Amino acid sequence: MRKGVQLILAVACCLLLNTAGWAWAGSIVGVVKPQGLRSPEGILVYVAKAPAGPTDGSQAKFIMDQTQLAFIPHILPVLVDSKVEFPNNDKVAHNVFSLSRAKKFNLGSYQPGEAKTVQFDQPGVVDLRCDVHQEMNAYILVLNNPYFALTDKEGRFTIPDQSYLGAHDVKDVPPLSPGKYLVKTWHEKLKTAKKKIEISAAGDTTIVFKPKRGAPGVLYK
Amino acid sequence: MARKKELAGLAPTLFIILSVVFLQQAQGGPSDTGATGTTRPRAIGRVVSQYGPMEGARVRLRGGDQLIVTDEQGHFTVHGPLPPWNMPMVTAGKEGWFNNGVILGRFGLVGDISLRPVFLADDPGYQFNSPEVCFDCHGKVTRIWNESKMAHTTANPKLLDMYYGTDAEGTPGQGEGYRLDNPRSNGNCATCHAPSAAAGSRWSLDLRGVLSSPRTEWEGVSCEYCHKVRRVVDDPSTPSGTTAILERQAPVRGRSILVFGPYDDVVVPPMAASYSSLYESGRFCSTCHSHLKRLGGGQTWDRKLIYSDKEWTGFGFQGDTTLPIQTTYQEWKQWQESLPAGDPNKEKKCQQCHMSWQKKLLPYDNFVVDGGARRMWGAYRSPEQIRPHHFEGGTKAQLQNALAMEMEGEIQRNELVVKVHISNTNGGHWVPTGEPMRSVLLLVEARDSDDKPLRLIRGGRLPEWVGSGDPAEGHYVGLPGAVFARVLADDKGNLNVPFWRATKIAVDNRIRPKKTVTLEFVFALDDPENEPSAEAGLIYRPVMRALARAKKWQVEDIPIVSKAW
Repeated sequence: MRKGVQLILAVACCLLLNTAGWAWAGSIVGVVKPQGLRSPEGILVYVAKAPAGPTDGSQAKFIMDQTQLAFIPHILPVLVDSKVEFPNNDKVAHNVFSLSRAKKFNLGSYQPGEAKTVQFDQPGVVDLRCDVHQEMNAYILVLNNPYFALTDKEGRFTIPDQSYLGAHDVKDVPPLSPGKYLVKTWHEKLKTAKKKIEISAAGDTTIVFKPKRGAPGVLYK
Repeated sequence: MARKKELAGLAPTLFIILSVVFLQQAQGGPSDTGATGTTRPRAIGRVVSQYGPMEGARVRLRGGDQLIVTDEQGHFTVHGPLPPWNMPMVTAGKEGWFNNGVILGRFGLVGDISLRPVFLADDPGYQFNSPEVCFDCHGKVTRIWNESKMAHTTANPKLLDMYYGTDAEGTPGQGEGYRLDNPRSNGNCATCHAPSAAAGSRWSLDLRGVLSSPRTEWEGVSCEYCHKVRRVVDDPSTPSGTTAILERQAPVRGRSILVFGPYDDVVVPPMAASYSSLYESGRFCSTCHSHLKRLGGGQTWDRKLIYSDKEWTGFGFQGDTTLPIQTTYQEWKQWQESLPAGDPNKEKKCQQCHMSWQKKLLPYDNFVVDGGARRMWGAYRSPEQIRPHHFEGGTKAQLQNALAMEMEGEIQRNELVVKVHISNTNGGHWVPTGEPMRSVLLLVEARDSDDKPLRLIRGGRLPEWVGSGDPAEGHYVGLPGAVFARVLADDKGNLNVPFWRATKIAVDNRIRPKKTVTLEFVFALDDPENEPSAEAGLIYRPVMRALARAKKWQVEDIPIVSKAW
């Protein structure tokens, strides 16, 4: 009996160490302190070049809602090949479209209660519009690897963001292996900030960004 | 025996219960689907006129979304739920006829709905009601209109400065002025800038004269003026090429005010309402958002230098004697006509964007009348049926979403090649549009990793007319970039002349609807190992710099979007 308990405890410890080890080995944690922006929330932080690994974006599902004449969320990072559903939960018809080079599409006008889906197969910034409500604007950021995160209300982030990825059916994202990486930020009102970092096997790598208000750059040069 | 008596006593109660259930099903009960799964009609009836059954009449439950069109015998069958709140009424309307309606009968049976014709009885001496009258019932709609540019077309200071040749301080003889060049002509500005006054006059009007007339005559493009338009006809004698035909009957049906509009279900005593599809069509806007100049005297201009045959015929023009000054309507029309059937943009109308819901107007409203009028006559509608009268155009919020921009760059040996892609995302017309004093500027710059500016070796630069001087003050001549505008010119080579002096178009490179323009700029890169960057910005300039300076107008450039590579 005692041996059985010991065995269970040993297995549990191994599992715990293994799971926690992911964060210890290759997580990038940090904070973004933007200058000239009301809130540090919703800024994308991403690893510009990283191995895509076995992650398959084609099974990932994201939602860009339309309600009260707004797209929600305003910035939606997705993995390349992901599908994004556009439900109309408003009281008037909407017409989602984009002329961005990363994905040109036009869903036409559709009524409240209806939804349409688009697959995003090219990395880049997709500038979303509604053809009849000119104020409606949002961005889908199509990323070529799962090592990205959106900042929280305090501007904090952790890469990879397992909870965000898991919530959208992107599972089993391995930690970044030790090495050198380029990490960048993106927000429509901020100049792109970037930092070269080195991830060691020892644990988290911490960085702080202080982007200034200005023109955003491209996701990938 | 006693049991029989008991049953007899229950009979009235049973009858009442069954009646209520039946009426509920017939009149907006929880469901109108019968036990067999078939849909029970909500209402059955016929639309007639004094001439007999009326085919093609539009029938609906008042305020409802479902439209039924009557058959050859004028019959209709209406299904679907009753809109909440409204008195259950079945309404009918048809172009050229006054709307009418009847209260929904007990069993869904509606007798004949009789329509009366709108007789041709225009009264040019009609005194338009002030928008204040409309405000009594349509408070919110009128308030939104009052904050729009439509409400201020006559007393617009820039219009008056351009008309009289004054500046912002009222000093005469400053910059151009129509009356300076044409002292004996009133021109036809009033046709669109004071349409109520112009419609009541057989002669062209001086704008100062208009402003001296009763206020109802110069309250911009007012509620009553627009809702008295019965139809729009082609008319080569007008600046726009079309004319609004008014119907100013007053009073009709006692004191009811005659109004035309997009609703076929407005049946209320204060108004004699008549449905008109014109109010959901771009043609309605054509009478003013089009300004053509006929050169006259056998004069022509070489339009092939500027417009392709397809564009020219798309505008609806023939020959080379028409100078397009403002073609917003034609731009939209030719774009629509170029789209194949089934295109998601097909059938998009001016009203869908310029009279759409905006965030500042939320929460959504379900009525177009307020206060006591709502309680007495209001019809509950889905927000989709309501068009807020803001007529927004050329504002910062709208411009910032009218265009989009993307950048890409590539280092090729000792050169940095920058491509800028500019898309007209939300304009259903060319951008910029309207009067040709407007322009969109593109500024491009590139820097090396030491933040030193790179020299442009290939690509466009901004022309002299955007202003020479300090770039920090908006004088961008010679900087890498481009300007998008329709530039009017005269025979002496002067650019950006007012329309009455113009004899040709020098440039028209404005961005077509849903199209992307790509411009390439090549910068010298001394060190190929350097990591250069580039930045581009789009700016909307409401008035050409030289004109704004001459007129002392305080007009600010509006930044639209900026991007970096």
